[in-house]
Amino acid sequence: MPGPVALRLEEVRVRFGAAAALDGVSLAVRRGEVVGLLGPNGSGKSTTLAVAAGVLDPASGTVSVDGVCRRADADGFARKVGLVPQDHALYDELTAASNLLFFGRLYGLGGRDLRRRVGRVLACVKLADRANDRVGGLSGGMKQRVSLAAALLHEPPLLLLDEPTAALDPGCRDGLFALLGRLRDDGHAILLSTHHLDEAERECDRVAVLDRGRVVASGPPGDLFRPRAAGRSVLYGHLRDVLPKFLERAIRQRLGPGVEFEVTGRRVRLAADSPEALGGGLALVLAAGATLETFGTPPAALDRVLRRAADAAAEGAPCTAGSP
Amino acid sequence: MYRRLALILALAGKDWRLFWADRRAAALGFAVPVVLASAFGLLLHRPPGDPARLPLAVAADADGPFTRAVVADLLASPRLDAKLVPAAEATACVADRDPGVAVVLPKGFERLPAGGDRPSVALLHHPSCGAERQWAEGAFTEVVMKRLARERLPTFLAADALTPPFEVAAAPVAAGGGSPAAFNAYTHSFNGMTLQYLLFWGMESGLMLLRERRRGVWTRVRAAPVPLGAVLLGKALATAGIALLQVGVTFAFGWAAFGVAVTGSAVGFALLAVAACGLAAATGLLVAAIGGTEARARSVCVLAILGVSMVGGLWMPAFLLPAWVRGAALALPTTWAMRGLEAVTWEGRGLRAALPGVAAVWGFTALFLALAAARLASAEARRRRGET
Repeated sequence: MPGPVALRLEEVRVRFGAAAALDGVSLAVRRGEVVGLLGPNGSGKSTTLAVAAGVLDPASGTVSVDGVCRRADADGFARKVGLVPQDHALYDELTAASNLLFFGRLYGLGGRDLRRRVGRVLACVKLADRANDRVGGLSGGMKQRVSLAAALLHEPPLLLLDEPTAALDPGCRDGLFALLGRLRDDGHAILLSTHHLDEAERECDRVAVLDRGRVVASGPPGDLFRPRAAGRSVLYGHLRDVLPKFLERAIRQRLGPGVEFEVTGRRVRLAADSPEALGGGLALVLAAGATLETFGTPPAALDRVLRRAADAAAEGAPCTAGSP
Repeated sequence: MYRRLALILALAGKDWRLFWADRRAAALGFAVPVVLASAFGLLLHRPPGDPARLPLAVAADADGPFTRAVVADLLASPRLDAKLVPAAEATACVADRDPGVAVVLPKGFERLPAGGDRPSVALLHHPSCGAERQWAEGAFTEVVMKRLARERLPTFLAADALTPPFEVAAAPVAAGGGSPAAFNAYTHSFNGMTLQYLLFWGMESGLMLLRERRRGVWTRVRAAPVPLGAVLLGKALATAGIALLQVGVTFAFGWAAFGVAVTGSAVGFALLAVAACGLAAATGLLVAAIGGTEARARSVCVLAILGVSMVGGLWMPAFLLPAWVRGAALALPTTWAMRGLEAVTWEGRGLRAALPGVAAVWGFTALFLALAAARLASAEARRRRGET
């Protein structure tokens, strides 16, 4: 169960020149939960993280971690935040241990205590045996783990990760999320940004969807991404051969008005009001002689979530499936 | 074969595109050599009617119409920038390199060309002014021979006309009681090149800060509870410390291999070395503060460092430069640092001679630090407000 709120953003506004980068963002992240920030490029994910990390001052609104407001106590605030920037943000020329010793000293750590912590965080990210390797020689996944270790050194309650899996292969991604899961279970509050909907769906306890600087939807991913009962069932496929026009017309006539059938080159799209109608339509297409190399239902798509949020906003109802 | 050529062309095309990716840096790549060449040309160019004139002090122990005529010829010579000084002050002028060479006409000079013993003309010169001494000797001989030919041709021809009827006795003069023998060209070179390299190291240090920004390390540092002042001081301390090590290693090698030695005040040398290292650190921060991109900062810095090195006398004797450049050079820290180092190395002078250089270099260091800190603090505040 998530614990008390660690990070709280209230009505945060940030302007980059004339443009509003964040337009009244409110968000809370509790200890023991992983919250994903999801949104298209330029939606404000990195800006939200920068504000939460204290490297960007909002024009208005408040930011606090464990009740400590950055404006009131900048140093105390910084000690409660562990930031993993999008770039690895490490010195490639130095060893992993040297990097960690340096970043630890920035937080006032030193001596035996710091060395003990370095050993511990390296063990935590499973890099104890690479402590004396230069960071420049490590793989992308290992660099990401060293970066995470640097953020953990001063034992902050809040971890912020900016696109942590952007440059990782699926294996490294799974490893990183296993690690984040353990940190979550240890009571850390984790806020991460991602482009990957499947990642947010699988790995995050809650998701906040940002669009043009606003939180347009938030809640548990299962609720947020569940297809609407009234939604249409869709299937995309890839034809082995281009369909002759007469055959395309014949199929469309036999499908009737309840099923959409669109062909673009060798790509086909079938949409129906229900899965049953969709299955019937697919059987009819195959029976007509079209051969599909591949077909499947589309993954939950970010634009669908955004569209739904926009619909909800138009109807005057917040698209929220849980706490903010 | 074709495939390999295509590959090479593709790789070359990539570098070509990378070069043009930062258009301002690319433009600087063309502008810097043009500006350097033009500036150096401006500094060294002498119009045909304005040949380089050697600064020379003229003193006379003798008196008489011939001597006065020679003095007047020397003062009017287009090859010399001569000034008349009392004979008693000639040595002091040369010791202060104001100017670095003096000619003293001896008693008996009025009787030229005299038979028997030839009068000995003293040519006093600063130990670092060997080239100027030779120049002065040639110009002086030319002036005297012309005057002799004009006024005393019959007597002159009766004498041995193939030999000047006087001797030139060159005498090096060192300031502050130092030994003139302590000078060697390596000392000048080690002083000048060490100072120049310190500035280049400062530039590299500043570029490192720009790289840290690009890599995102700067973001991580800014997120930590560390004030900007501490970050800058840490940077300056490391830069200055490494610079001091470079000074130590360079002069140790110079001493072991070429006899470069601190013959004057060791304390003065140490103070100057520390001040110059502080200047390198301040230069680095200034580069980081106003640098823009790394490529642009590098181009501008190379231009500036080469300029202040040359004008500051780190490369070649200052007399080769026009008078206005020599005057303007006083506004450069390199000039003062070089003067101080020369004073305590081969000139063998005491702490007092080093202090003006120490004070001037620290002054420039403080100015650079203040400018860099103000600019970086302002940039940081703008970044925090999301204005950059």
